[in-house]
Parts: sequence; C-alpha cells; structure tokens
Amino acid sequence: MTSDNTLTAPLKLRGRSAFHQFAVLSVRWGRVPAGTILFFLAWYLLSLTLPDSRLVSPLRVVDEMLYNFVLSPHLQVFGLGRIGYAGLLIYSVKNVLLGLAVGAAIGLLLGLTSARFRPLRYLVDPITLVLGTVPVLVAAPLFLLWFGVVPYTQVLLVGLYSAVMMTIFSQRAVDNIDPVYELAAATRGANWSTRLRLILLPAVVPEVIGGLRVTLASAWGIETFTEILGAPSGIGQAIKTYTNVNNVAGMLACVGLVAIVAITMDFLLQVTARRISRWAH
Amino acid sequence: MTKLREAALPALQVDELSVAFSRADGSAVQALDGVSLTVEQGEFICVLGRSGHGKTTLLNAIAGLNQPQSGSIQAMGQQISGPGVDRGVIFQRDAVFPWMRVEDNVGFGLRVAGRPRDEQRMVALAQLENVGLSHVAQAWPRELSGGMRARVAVASVFAMDPPILLADEPFGALDYVTRRQLQEVLLTLWQKTRKTIFFVTHDVDEALRLATRIIVVGNGRILVDMPTNLPVPRSDEQIASARGLELRHLLLHNLGLE
Repeated sequence: MTSDNTLTAPLKLRGRSAFHQFAVLSVRWGRVPAGTILFFLAWYLLSLTLPDSRLVSPLRVVDEMLYNFVLSPHLQVFGLGRIGYAGLLIYSVKNVLLGLAVGAAIGLLLGLTSARFRPLRYLVDPITLVLGTVPVLVAAPLFLLWFGVVPYTQVLLVGLYSAVMMTIFSQRAVDNIDPVYELAAATRGANWSTRLRLILLPAVVPEVIGGLRVTLASAWGIETFTEILGAPSGIGQAIKTYTNVNNVAGMLACVGLVAIVAITMDFLLQVTARRISRWAH
Repeated sequence: MTKLREAALPALQVDELSVAFSRADGSAVQALDGVSLTVEQGEFICVLGRSGHGKTTLLNAIAGLNQPQSGSIQAMGQQISGPGVDRGVIFQRDAVFPWMRVEDNVGFGLRVAGRPRDEQRMVALAQLENVGLSHVAQAWPRELSGGMRARVAVASVFAMDPPILLADEPFGALDYVTRRQLQEVLLTLWQKTRKTIFFVTHDVDEALRLATRIIVVGNGRILVDMPTNLPVPRSDEQIASARGLELRHLLLHNLGLE
C-alpha cells in the first residue's frame, strides 16, 4: 500500500536521539514554571524598590495567605465574623458555580435553538444585544437595589451575564458548523432530532467549551465586583475591607487566592474539554 | 412491488426538471432548464460540465437537497420529495464526522436505521476491508489523510447499501495518484454490487475511465448523452483507442475546448 494508508498523526520526536527528545520536552514543559518563576522574581525585585503601601514582596503575600487561610483575626476585627479566606472563597466559588451552571444552561439552550429556529432568533438577538452591552458597573448596583445584599443577588448577576455570553457563543458555534455534516446525516436517514443529538451537539462541543472558559473567567470578575459593592460574605468583601485600611498584603493575598482558584477551575475545565472532545485535539 | 417489476424500473426518471435560484440582488439564475433523462439500473453515469452550468444542481435535485421549480424526479418508481436512504451521497466536501471514529462513521447510517450494534460493527468492518482501511477502524478522522477520508466516505455510503449512489466530484481535491486509486476502489465496488452510480466530475479523463454513459451539461441543459461502449474496467490503452479518442474529442468540443 502507498503512503496514503499511513496515519498522519504528528510524531515530531520519532526517530530522534534520547537527548534531543529530553531537550525538546524540557523546553515544552519547562516554559510554564519558568515563566511563573520569572514573574515572581520580577515582582520580588520590584517590591524591594517600592514602599509597603504600594507593593509588598510575594513572600509576605504567601505568608498572609497561609496565616489567614482557616481563621483570620483581621477579618474578625473588621466585622466579617469568625472566618478565614477559605470560608470567604467557598462563598464566592459557590455563587460563581451556581450562577454559571444556571446561566450557561439557559444560554446553551437558547443559543442552540435560536441558531436553528429563525423566529426565536429574531426574539433572542435584540435581548442579548441590549443585556450584553449593559456594563456590570451599571447592572450590579441596580441588582443590589432590587434584590438586596443577599447571596442570590450575585448568583442572579453571574447567571444573567453567563446566559447572555453562552447564548452568543452557542449561536456562533452552530453557525460555524459546516452544513455538509447535517446534509450527509440527512441523506443517511437522520431526522431533525437525530441530527440534533448526533451531529449538532457533538460538533459544537469544542467551541461551546471555549466559550464556557471565557464565561467562567468573567463570572469571577462579576462575582468579586458585586461582593465589593455589597454582599454578606465573599472574597470581594475581604478585598473591600483591606482597601479601606490600605492593607496591600491582604489585598494581594485575596487576589492571589482568587487567581489560584480561577486558574485551577479553568485547568479542570480544559482537562474535561480535552477528554470530551479528544477527537479535535 | 414484485422483484420482476422492480428490476424493470429505471433507477432514475427525470422529467422536465427546472431549478432556479435567487441571487442576493433579487435576480433569478436558471440553474436547470427542462432537463429530462432516464438512468437504467446498474449504469455508471458520469456527468461532465463547466463550473456553474448545473451538474451539482442536478445531483442535489436527485438527492432531494433542493426544491425544483417544476418537473419531477422518480427514484426506483418513487417520487422524490427529499433526501432518502435509497440515494446515498458522497459529497464534494469532506463530510466524514470528526467526532466519530472511522468505524462509527461508516456504521452511522445503520445506527440511524436502528440496526443492532453488532450488525453495525460487522457491516462497517466489511466495508472498511473493501476500501483497504480495516486497520484504521478505531482511528479519529483527524488522523487520516485526505485520500483515506475519501475512502471512509465511500465505505460509509456503501454500508447503507442504497440502490443508487450519487457522487459530487468526490475525488476532486486529491492528487492524481490517490484519485486513480480511489477510482479503482469505486469501480471494483460497482462491479461487485452493480449499483446505479451518478457521478459528477469536471475531469474528462475521470469520466472516460469510469463511465458506461457520459452526460454533458451546459447552461442548465443536457448537451450530450452517450454510452461510452468501452470495456469495464478499462486500461489506459483502451481509453486511448479510436473510440476513446472519438469520445474525448466530442466531450472537449461540447465543453467549448475544441
């Protein structure tokens, strides 16, 4: 048989020496920690040149995180109760996940159906356009006025923006499907429900998950900002407290914790995505 | 319907078919204009023509993928109103589903028809054997070359065992060597199964190599409709014979090239 029958999966390291393979893999996998180390080194060096009221060293921030993680005397003094960063983070994470789950589910359903059903699209598009252009800075205070300083205010806001974003991402995912797949399925006897289940849904998975990652990242911003404005708990409240007393170490510790959790959740989503859509990678 | 009656039916009967499309500026394009033809069972028809002259429109109308303005099309005596499993289609663009492994792609039609999983697998593997791809049954389509994906497309359609097979320039994007290999695969399968094949191509050499009958479409009408009267399979020498050259001259003349 000719070369037409050989698999064409990229195997760049095949046939190279062991040393060459080690060098290539070291560069490939060493980029991430190397970049992080460089970032922290730059931060440390900069902190040596600036006063504590502007920037503290990363070592102090880590110390702040660990000391206040389970129970924070600072937060107790500032009226947030017997709680540590962990407790505040749990509150924020719960709201983000709940708001994202509900909003993304609604957005996915609306996006997928409106992409294929034109009358629904005429209804959905203007609404998403209007809601999507209202800045969080404007919507958040309104929501606080309407619903009060309660947990579900944040959940509703995260849910609303997640629904809008996922509607747009899902619509675009469906629009980007090559029509030849549905035509091919139709010529093999697939009706509309079979085409939805076996063609449309699997085809949109990579793009929808990409949209979900972006939506998750913005959900963190919406949640934290709303907590800063007014919430019974949450990491945003800690940031607000530390801002009021000019505690830079505490602020950076909270921001750092949010970043760690957000990166971890994004990583888990990536791993899940790669598993579900391994056909695309 | 009795088998005798069914055997006497033409595979395809097209009567006064007209198809028009609207342009963005609102003007109409008459893609097909009163086309009539009869395709007998077991024929290997190649449809030639210049780009934009109605070949694919004719194929899509037979496949039930567009709505005619007027006229009728019957497949095995049944009026066509939409796509159906009696007319398998190999598309010009790559239609192998990326999210299904090769075996699942080939067995897709059987899965939709509700056949048991074991039967799907057995038929899929048999068809992959026919096209020389049984060793990549569990591969993802992204791991295959263009030629291999074209073979999967052929196997997928044959797995459904439709009486009529429609192919819209399926090998057009492939290199010459791969195209020749796939032509041989398709011819072998056709000789084995004697399905009716309606094959659209812009390649005169491909038409001369494959067809028992060649139709030339121009400006939405049939310009030429003639049997090749050449043996199947045919060698390069037979294609270059007096009859082959006569056919080539006639085709090139009707395509406006001589």
